[in-house]
Amino acid sequence: MDLKNINPFIDAVTEILPQFGFQSLIQKGFSEKSKKIIASGVVITLGIVGDKKGNVVYCINQEGAKQIASIMMMGMPVEELDDMAQSALSELSNMLTANACINFSKEAVNVDISVPTLLFGENIELNLNKEEIICVEFDVDGIKMEICVALV
Amino acid sequence: MKNLRVMIVDDSTFSTAVLRKMLEKDGLEVVATALNMKDAIEKAKEIKPDLITMDMTLPDGNGIECSRELLKYVKETKIIAVSSMMDEEIIEKAKNAGIKAYLQKPVDSDGLKAAIEKLFAGEELYQILQDNYEEAFKESVFTFLKSEIGGEVELENYQLKYKGVRKSSGVSVAVGMIGRHKGRLIIDMSSNTALNMVKKILQDESQTLEEAIQFLSEFTNVIAGNACSLLNGLNRSFGLRVSPPTVIVGEDITISIGDMDSKSFMIKTDLGEAFMNIGVQKGDESWI
Repeated sequence: MDLKNINPFIDAVTEILPQFGFQSLIQKGFSEKSKKIIASGVVITLGIVGDKKGNVVYCINQEGAKQIASIMMMGMPVEELDDMAQSALSELSNMLTANACINFSKEAVNVDISVPTLLFGENIELNLNKEEIICVEFDVDGIKMEICVALV
Repeated sequence: MKNLRVMIVDDSTFSTAVLRKMLEKDGLEVVATALNMKDAIEKAKEIKPDLITMDMTLPDGNGIECSRELLKYVKETKIIAVSSMMDEEIIEKAKNAGIKAYLQKPVDSDGLKAAIEKLFAGEELYQILQDNYEEAFKESVFTFLKSEIGGEVELENYQLKYKGVRKSSGVSVAVGMIGRHKGRLIIDMSSNTALNMVKKILQDESQTLEEAIQFLSEFTNVIAGNACSLLNGLNRSFGLRVSPPTVIVGEDITISIGDMDSKSFMIKTDLGEAFMNIGVQKGDESWI
């Protein structure tokens, strides 16, 4: 498994999440997928173009997504995934991906990112049409967050 | 550049007079001048200028502090620092405070003009994008469907039932557009419509959902690619490129359109309906 495309995202998570006041950040294992991802809860996808081309997908379950949105909004209770919570999560994905871009540029790889697209539901099947999708799982204050990177 | 309303913040009446002369020569309107931070904040709140030239030394504070405070009230205003002091440390502080450009005194007229043009070029470009993206995408989708599936093709404006969200009909594709400004195209249709279209285009009744998904992915990619080419043709500075499509399949999926400037359409064809949403967003201004 080649981790060079996912490492910039791992560094982004490690740098950005503590700034929002998340206490514990544990990096779990890597996994490899091909072409498709199936996820339930909240899924945020961003396009990437430049020296590398592809997509990054952030997956969080519904409850976890509400908790993350709540922490991002200074502890404001988030009962349902409303506009505000969706906007907070989109912004987080934007920040993480933009930071990953900066990390790529340190290795002389220049990439730009699209606006995020946020989806929610059960058994969401995402077709990224790339043979190799590298995923990493994080435990963020007990919330499972998965990042999948399909970049060529 | 014309019609830009400028405020000059400088503790020197001489510098203010020089700047005013340069700005007015370029056709800009100087709507206010302020000699100190307090005056600057009061006037900016009231006048909301498009541009502020900011001196770094003020009798009751400094330009960094003043800019940071000002931008709390006038978020759309752009600030150019104009100061005799210029070193890496202060430039870094200026950037962090939200200042967009830094010029050293004595400022020459051409340098000031170039900085302002560059700063506002993005604004004009965004306006061009806003005025033209709808037509570009409509033309792109219409041309594709007319030539590939034929029959009646109609595009109707569509109002989202719930603010900012769309319940997927079964298969959706999102494609990002990335350039000086950004955008995104979403196309959503039922798996039946996608199947009907791929069967018609390939003249093959044995096509499966898997193949329909491939078709929809490519369809969206072509629509976005052609529309971006049309827009890039209007102004090369757009530099729009299309990111690889993501196809989303599922029975119970909601797509958040978000709070970007977007328009939705229902595409009506003989083979079924498709939903289309196109959104644009202003790109970040880079430091000048």
